[in-house]
Amino acid sequence: MARLVLEHLDCWYGRIHAVDHIDLTVEDGELCVLLGPSGSGKTTTLRMIAGLVRPTGGEIYLDGQRITHLYPGQRGIGMVFQSYALYPHMTVREQLLFPLQALPMKPSEREQRVQEVANLLHIGDLLERYPSQLSAGQRQRVALGRALVKRPALLLLDEPLSNVDAMLREEVRANLRRLQQELRITAVHVTHDQIEAQALADKIAVMHQGRIQQVGNPQDIYRYPANMFVAGFIGTPSMNFIEVELTSDGDAPVLRNKWLTITLSRNLKKDLPPRLILGVRPEHLRVHPPHEGDEMIAEVVVVEPQGHELILHVRIHTHLLRIRTDPRGIGFRPHPGDRVSISFDSQNIHLFDRYTQQRIA
Amino acid sequence: MAIRAIRWMDGLKRAGIILLATAAAAFFFLPLLWIVISSFKTQLDLFAIPPKWVFQPTLANYINVLRSDFRAQFVNSMVVALASTFFSLLLGSMTAYGFSRYSLRGSSFIQFWILSLRFLPAVAVMVPFFLVFNSLRLRDTLLALFLAYNVFNISFAIWVLKAFFDEIPLELEEAAMLDGYSPLQVFLRVSLPLVRPGLVTTAIFCMIQSLNEFLLALALTVRAAETAPVGLAKLQTFLGTDWGRISAAGTLFMLPVVLFTILVRNELVRGMSFGRMK
Repeated sequence: MARLVLEHLDCWYGRIHAVDHIDLTVEDGELCVLLGPSGSGKTTTLRMIAGLVRPTGGEIYLDGQRITHLYPGQRGIGMVFQSYALYPHMTVREQLLFPLQALPMKPSEREQRVQEVANLLHIGDLLERYPSQLSAGQRQRVALGRALVKRPALLLLDEPLSNVDAMLREEVRANLRRLQQELRITAVHVTHDQIEAQALADKIAVMHQGRIQQVGNPQDIYRYPANMFVAGFIGTPSMNFIEVELTSDGDAPVLRNKWLTITLSRNLKKDLPPRLILGVRPEHLRVHPPHEGDEMIAEVVVVEPQGHELILHVRIHTHLLRIRTDPRGIGFRPHPGDRVSISFDSQNIHLFDRYTQQRIA
Repeated sequence: MAIRAIRWMDGLKRAGIILLATAAAAFFFLPLLWIVISSFKTQLDLFAIPPKWVFQPTLANYINVLRSDFRAQFVNSMVVALASTFFSLLLGSMTAYGFSRYSLRGSSFIQFWILSLRFLPAVAVMVPFFLVFNSLRLRDTLLALFLAYNVFNISFAIWVLKAFFDEIPLELEEAAMLDGYSPLQVFLRVSLPLVRPGLVTTAIFCMIQSLNEFLLALALTVRAAETAPVGLAKLQTFLGTDWGRISAAGTLFMLPVVLFTILVRNELVRGMSFGRMK
């Protein structure tokens, strides 16, 4: 059992508030991804869990024990660094033995543990090599092995995939996930790559400006983003935001601006503020060949082919929208300069308060 | 045609470089070679004009030298140099590590003060050292020389080794901390092994500095703690100079440093060009 609890964790670097009173619980065997842009405090949070940065306030509990002020080596934590931090003067075998040599243990048992980890990560034939003789993917596995060999209660991963090239990344990512599930080890993974986060996580904590914006499973975060930051950060291309006014047409609330009118369903709660931001994901906008009488006619500005899909940038009045679409689905292939008609899927829209930026519906 | 001309030019350039390198090497090696050759010559051959390149070698100079005070002086030199080098590496590496890893109020000021000890001319401190060691009754002891040389060697070691420690990525030490090691163990098992080229480079420079030192040794010793450079100089008397003995002693005196350098030449090159981390 290793459950990680962060309580009001807080950290100042001089006058910079790097981490602002965050609370987070990672259940036993769960992989939690801290996701956020650079400077959002995610790495600082990880380093506080590891004991490399002293928190200004708050507590960290692992397995029910308060570890806030323990020395890093006493916390029973394994960590994979972004640069892997392999010791240049040690062979792979020595790297793997190193954490075990700090523990009271029979030499034969240490040897056996190294073999186990080497088999698990398929690095058995690399044991006599030095880090400089390894490829990036191999180094990553050795770093993971070194973190796992002492069977830590918690595994910390600091952007472990950022130094692996794109070809290999998916494979390494899948491997990482498989291992974590096999070993049922609690893990905290830091990344700025939302695709990586979606692929790996049981739970995502989106961070921005030192605060956790939202915690949830990948689907919930995609479907019900808590605010405009999360909505814009998750999903590629990012969500379209459109300023609208709330008016009413008889009973039904209606969203309106110069070029758009959307009638909302009646059962929507009535106490909406009058000024709203409408959020629509590019994959939830549709394009059609233009017909007479269509209200929303846009001009195609850029067409980006991506595999079987197209990313369209269209201009409607002065507003630019991104649309993800499948040309086979719409029956024609748009070109820059074409006029197209666009429509909303009213099931898949989000409303945000223009001032608080929080999601309303 | 043109290609052949370029090849010809390349060849010429190569030949020029080799010639230049040979000339430079000869320029630096000739005096050494001359000392080694002279040490095997008799007094008569030494002064032959033109110089004799082919002669009957003799070991008489070596036998003379080893029977004289030089043996004790040589031992003195080696003891002081080794002790000072060892102590400088020990203290220097720990201090350098401290400066490199921990922020300290006034750190840069203290570092500059330490460096300033290094560019202190020996003549300037000769008299104060003499007075201090005299009043401590340490005159003519190896301990006095050891202490005096440490002033120069430790400051040198701190500066060289700090640069090497600065090159070690912090993440390596953090990884070792997470692997369960205390700060001292991290230093001994990760940081120190990684600066080995720096340690070797520093060791050689400290050795050479200590072995070569003349002025302080002359001022602080009388007989018991006399070092080889002082002893060698004293072979030049107003009654004449025994060049054969000086050459033999000089050759013997060179050997330890030459052997040590050959032994660690790989590390030395790496140390002087840095770059173990990449």
